[in-house]
Amino acid sequence: MFQNTKCECGHQNPVGTVLCESCGKPLLEELLTDESAPLEMRYDGVARRSQKANPHIVDRIWNFFSSVKIAVYLIAITLVGACLGTIFQQENTLINMTERSEFAAFYKEQHGTFGVIYHALGLSRTYESWWFVLLLVMIGTSLVICSLDRVLPLYRALSKQQIRKHLQFITRQQVVYNGTVEGDQEAWLTELGKQLKRKHYRVYQEKGALLAEKNRFSRWGPYINHIGLIIFLLAVLGRSIPAWHMDKYLTLYEGETRQIPDTNYYVKNENFTVDYYTDDELANNQKGTKVVKLYETEARLYECTDACDDPMKEPVLTEVKHHNIRVNSALSYKGLKLYQNSYQERVRFISVKPSLINSATGKSLGTFELSMDHPAEKLEVGSYKLTLSDYYPDFSLDDKSQPMTKTREPNNPAFVIRVNGPNIQAAGELYIYFAMPSEKSKYYEKIINESFKQRGDNTGLFTIKVENPIVDGKMNNITYSEYSTYLNIRVDKAMPYIWFGAAISMIGLIMGFYWQHRRIWLRFDDHSLSLGGHTNKNSFGLRADVAWALGKTGIEVEPKSLDNRRNVR
Amino acid sequence: MGRYRKSIQYIILAAVLLVGGYAIANSLFSKSVVLTKGDKPPSFRLAGLDNEVHELQDYEGKPLILNFWGTFCPPCRDEMPALQKQYDKWKGEGLELVGINLSEDKLTVESFIRQVGVSFPILMDKDKKTEKKYGLKQYPTTFFITPKGVIQEVVIGGLLSEEEIEVRVQRLMKS
Repeated sequence: MFQNTKCECGHQNPVGTVLCESCGKPLLEELLTDESAPLEMRYDGVARRSQKANPHIVDRIWNFFSSVKIAVYLIAITLVGACLGTIFQQENTLINMTERSEFAAFYKEQHGTFGVIYHALGLSRTYESWWFVLLLVMIGTSLVICSLDRVLPLYRALSKQQIRKHLQFITRQQVVYNGTVEGDQEAWLTELGKQLKRKHYRVYQEKGALLAEKNRFSRWGPYINHIGLIIFLLAVLGRSIPAWHMDKYLTLYEGETRQIPDTNYYVKNENFTVDYYTDDELANNQKGTKVVKLYETEARLYECTDACDDPMKEPVLTEVKHHNIRVNSALSYKGLKLYQNSYQERVRFISVKPSLINSATGKSLGTFELSMDHPAEKLEVGSYKLTLSDYYPDFSLDDKSQPMTKTREPNNPAFVIRVNGPNIQAAGELYIYFAMPSEKSKYYEKIINESFKQRGDNTGLFTIKVENPIVDGKMNNITYSEYSTYLNIRVDKAMPYIWFGAAISMIGLIMGFYWQHRRIWLRFDDHSLSLGGHTNKNSFGLRADVAWALGKTGIEVEPKSLDNRRNVR
Repeated sequence: MGRYRKSIQYIILAAVLLVGGYAIANSLFSKSVVLTKGDKPPSFRLAGLDNEVHELQDYEGKPLILNFWGTFCPPCRDEMPALQKQYDKWKGEGLELVGINLSEDKLTVESFIRQVGVSFPILMDKDKKTEKKYGLKQYPTTFFITPKGVIQEVVIGGLLSEEEIEVRVQRLMKS
C-alpha cells in the first residue's frame, strides 16, 4: 500500500505517523472525515520507531515484540501460568525429598489422581519450568522493545516542538477555547505567558502563537519504570548463575559440625533449645498442650583456612561468626545467610563414658570415653590398655548371624574392646559393650560376652558399664543430642539488584502517577484566537489552569465550558 | 539515530537470545545428576585405608571398576568376595578395582575388610560428598569405566555374581 507521508507544511513524516511531527495536522484518512472529533494524542501522534512499509524477517520479530497488545497477552498468560503454580505445594518447599519418584509419590498420596496429573505436567515445578522462564524472557524482550520503539520518537517529538500548530490540531484538543482579542495581540499573549509562568509553565512565544508546557518529565515515568522492571527481571534470571544463588537445607544434631556444601564454610550446632509456653500463658482451650514459644540454634560459623581439600587431614577451621539463630534472626556472614527452618526431636548419641570394673570386687578401675563418631582406637585406663577392635554404630545380625551395622547412624552402638595389662592372659580380654541402656541391647551384650568367654577370649574378669547412669533424674556419663536443627542456607547475590530495580521502578511509577504533562497552544488568525490544551491525565486541572490564566488576562470563562471531549468518552 | 537502527535491533535481539537462551537452557537441563553410559565420572580425591591419597586420575588409562559400598548394606557385603576374586583374576591384565566406602567409621570398615580379605584399594568418602557427586540412589552401585575414562555401564543395586562381573570386565578389556 502506498501512503503519502508528506504533510502540507512540507514535513516528511515516517510511515505510521498520525499527526504531522511538525505542524500537528492529522494525517490519517479516518481522522480527516470528522473534523470536530478530539484527536488521539497518544505518543504525540508520532510513528512507532520501527514501523516499515516492507518489513524484513528481523523487523517482523521486532514488530511482534513492539506491540502492546502482544505484551498484554504475554502478561495475561504469565499470570495464568503463575496461578497454576499455586494450586499445590511446589517441589522446592519439600525439603526432605530429592528424587523424582519421591515427589511423584508425595503428590499421589496428598492429592490423588489430580496430584499425579499435576506432577506429570511439571506444574509442581512451575516457576523453574522452561515455559515459565520463556514467558518471563518474552515479557522482558517486549518491555525493552516496546519502550525503545516509543520513547525515542516521543523524545524527538517533544524536544523539537513547533510553537505554531495547525489550526485543526488546536481545535481538536480535549481542552479548547475560541474567541477574539481586541487590541494588541502580542501584548496580550505576553501577559498570558506571564500568568502561565506563575503556574510553573515554561512559555515559548513567537509572532501570533504561544506554547506553554509543564511537567514534561512525567512522560518519562513509564519508561523509567520499565528500566526498573528490566533490571528486576534480569536479576531474577541472574539467580540461575550458580555462584549467585544457593538455597539448601542442613540437618545438624547438637554438637555436630558440617561443611556447607560447595563452600569453604562449616557450621556447628553448639546447642539447641526449645521453650514451651506455660499453662498460664495459654488460652483455655490450649492448656496442657505443648505450644512452642521459642526455638533457637546456637551456631558457630567457621571458615576453613588450611588442609581444606586434603583427605588425609582434618580441615583447620577458624571461627568467623557466632550467632543464636532464631526464626527471623539469621546468621549472616558475607552474603551467606543461615535461617532457622525447623527442628526435630530425635535422640542421637554423641558419646558415653563407661567405667572398667573389676567384676569380683565391683570396684571401678577408671573411666574412658567412647565417641560415636570416629571413636579413639587406643585408650588407657589405669594400668590397662584398651584397644577398640570393632565398632557397630547400629548393631544387628546379618542373615549368617554375623554382627553388622544396620545403618550409618549410632542408633544402637556396640563397641568391641580388647583389654591388655598386668596379671591377665597374654592375648588380653575381649568384651563387647553396648552403649544403649535398653533391655534388648543389654541382653545381646550378655549373650555375646558369654560366647566370648566360652571361646576363651575373656575370663569375665572385667565388666564395662556406666556408673551412676542417672543422677538427679538426669542421664549421667552419657552425652546425647535431643534435637536436630534444620537450617536453611541461602546465598542470594541477586537481591541488591532486585531491590535496585524495584526502587527505579517505583521512582518511574511516582513520576508518572503524581505529575501530569500539560501543554497549551495558542494561535491568532486575524483577530480570532484559538486555544487548545492537552494533558495526559487530570484534564480538570488543565481546564482550571487555562480558565485561571484567561481570567487574569480579561477573558472570563467557566472551566467546564472548555471541555471539548464528547459525552461518548 | 536512523543509521544505527538496524545494528541496535540486532544487538538487542542477540542479547535477548543469549540471556534468554541461557535462562531457558538452565531450566531445561538443571536436573539432578544421573550418570549413565558415555558420561565422564566426576573426579574425587579421597583417603584410602592404606593412608594414601587416591584420585580418579590415578586410574586413567586402565579399565576401572568403581564400587560404592557400605558394611550396613547386605548385598554390598555379599558381593565383596566375588569382586575380590575377579580382581585377583584380572589385575595381571591391568584391571583396577576401587571400593569407595559410604562415609562410615574407619574402624568399622577396616574390621570388615580384614574379615573378607579384600586387597584392592578401599577409599573413605566423607559426609557423603562423593556419593552425592555420583548421584547414588541405591547401594551398592558399581561403575565400569573404560581406559579412556568413560562410563561403560552402571550397575545399580543387586548382587553381582562372579560371572556377571567377568562378562563386564571382558567388555571393558575389549574397549
